[in-house]
Amino acid sequence: MSAVVDFPVKPEARPYLDAFALGPSGEPEWLGMRRRRGLARFAEQGFPNRRSEAWRYIDLRALEEKPMLPAGAVRAVAGAAIRNQLASIAFSEAAYRLVLVDGRYAPELSTAEGLPSGIWLGGMAMTIAERPDLVRYAIDAPLFDTERPFAALNAAFFGDGVVLDIAPGVVLDRPIEIVHLASGGTGESLHTRSLVVAGADSRASILEIFAGNGSYWRNDVVELRLAAGAEFGRVALVEEAADALHIGELLAVLGSAARLTSLVLLLAGRTMRHEATVRSEGEATQCRLNGAFLLSGRQQANIVTAVDHAAPGGQTREVFKGVAAGRAHGAFQGRITVRPGAQKVDAHQLSQNLVLSPHAAIDTKPELEIYADDVKCSHGAAVGDLDEAALFYMRSRGIGHEEARRMLIEGFVREALEPVGSAPLREHLLSRVARRLTMLEE
Amino acid sequence: MAAAAAILDINNLHVRLVDGREILRGIDLAVNSGEVHAIMGPNGSGKSTLAAVLAGRDGYEVSEGGVTYLGRDLLAMPAEERAREGLFLAFQYPVEIPGVNNMYFLRTAINAQRRHRGEPELDAGQFLRAVRAQLKLLDIGEDLLQRAVNVGFSGGEKKRNEIFQMAMLEPRLAILDETDSGLDIDALKVVARGVNQQRAPDRAIVMITHYQRLLGYVEPDRVHVLQGGRIVESGDKDLAVELERRGYGLLGDAA
Repeated sequence: MSAVVDFPVKPEARPYLDAFALGPSGEPEWLGMRRRRGLARFAEQGFPNRRSEAWRYIDLRALEEKPMLPAGAVRAVAGAAIRNQLASIAFSEAAYRLVLVDGRYAPELSTAEGLPSGIWLGGMAMTIAERPDLVRYAIDAPLFDTERPFAALNAAFFGDGVVLDIAPGVVLDRPIEIVHLASGGTGESLHTRSLVVAGADSRASILEIFAGNGSYWRNDVVELRLAAGAEFGRVALVEEAADALHIGELLAVLGSAARLTSLVLLLAGRTMRHEATVRSEGEATQCRLNGAFLLSGRQQANIVTAVDHAAPGGQTREVFKGVAAGRAHGAFQGRITVRPGAQKVDAHQLSQNLVLSPHAAIDTKPELEIYADDVKCSHGAAVGDLDEAALFYMRSRGIGHEEARRMLIEGFVREALEPVGSAPLREHLLSRVARRLTMLEE
Repeated sequence: MAAAAAILDINNLHVRLVDGREILRGIDLAVNSGEVHAIMGPNGSGKSTLAAVLAGRDGYEVSEGGVTYLGRDLLAMPAEERAREGLFLAFQYPVEIPGVNNMYFLRTAINAQRRHRGEPELDAGQFLRAVRAQLKLLDIGEDLLQRAVNVGFSGGEKKRNEIFQMAMLEPRLAILDETDSGLDIDALKVVARGVNQQRAPDRAIVMITHYQRLLGYVEPDRVHVLQGGRIVESGDKDLAVELERRGYGLLGDAA
């Protein structure tokens, strides 16, 4: 039986409405309200299709044709399989680790020992229960409420996520690792909602790893709120199961002189999309958005960025690298907006892409929208093959053809990793890239 | 000293570009170990084509003749195998490789060559010691090693980096393609010092150059004049001096 609602419903949204009606109760009323609003919004919009500009480079028909309903709330305590999975993928030098299995916080795999006082790190569901004051305002009043069907569906269905709340002035030198694992479900969706609030002049960073087994759709939303002078870094390493669909959304607001560094690496998964939306509200912010995708077979990936400079003096630097082999298809879409009055904004965007086979393709679409007259904005975009001159140079020194290719591609991607401040973390990420390259068939 | 062994034997080599233009029209040249040869000639005479064909660059067709290197058919070997067998080409225009660290690049090359010869690979410490010994000689700062291969290097730095690679790879045959071009006099002296230091009884060096100037610092045993795709004249070091005086135009048949 279908749930009775008083708003228009797209046919593909119907199964999700039905699943919602059967969802858990016992949550606070404010959260239930928010979930219903998200559901209504999704029901009206349905899944985005290629007529919508932000979604034109990705094929989501499979999702439309076959519903992937949210995973159940009950999670078994992690067994050996999950522990092995974690050991194979985690960053060994992480000091603090928070693990989610099938979209639910797994305290038995997490460790936050030694975190300085002034930092709250916990699961979203647990935080809603124990410290609703930390999250309610953010969930009640989302910063971005435009046409975002996946975020709307996420609002309706998120079961858990991560909350990181950093008090003003607190400095954390070592990165917090957040690992999202999927234990091998078939045809379900995992909706996670995370929130990071970085207090004034605080400094911290996170490494988020997405990995798993099975066939699933992950729908992850992360919101970052950086107060004045806060410095925050986030790395998203996406190494999902070969048959997985990954939709990631990063929403950030920067206060005066806040500094954000975001790096996204899309390495594994059938279809991957990451969208970063940054609103630079304070003056003199620094926003660094980097990323790369490495694709082969029939993989598809889409990196989308939108940086909105609403205040003067901000700086944006973007470096995105795309690599596609086989029959893969990648795309980069990067928009930078400078509002009227946002003078002295300095923004540069670079999108460089390597297409390694005649059947692979990469699209790149820079968009600068400038409404102030005293700004410095530029972009560069290129799609090409490996540099034959460089290949010959390397071979002329005795390096074999295959090794030379790998080194060139690795070097090409490495430039995107440059803003990662921690040397061991950078090396870890490079080793994941190198590992992926050994599997990049023609 | 034992009789010099033949390192390179070029026999009636004809080379065409893919578009059919013939660039080399019957080169004969024999180079023995311990020797330094200079190949001189005007622009367009085929000097760089000869270097490229010997190193194994694609895009050329050998229509006649052949090349024997250390008793083997050089032209049958892929470029990387030639290098592993001890052939080195110093590029006229060293290639920039963004994102690939100079040290990592060189160590990968050395170890690829050592594996080929059945020798153990160098570990990071051994490699670094070998590097430091050469750096001083070529007046190269250690910072150059931490940068991406040739990226942002000045013209002189690129050429010194080539000679540094040659010193590290210890080739049997080094071909220097216009290594002197674009160098000021101080850089030229440093490069020449590096080349002279590499002269050895079991090694041969072929310098390809337009001008006599490098030859004032690295004295060749033999000088050849390449013109119109052929070697039109050969002689000892005095030929280079004579060429400088009278120019290429007065020699034999112009191309």
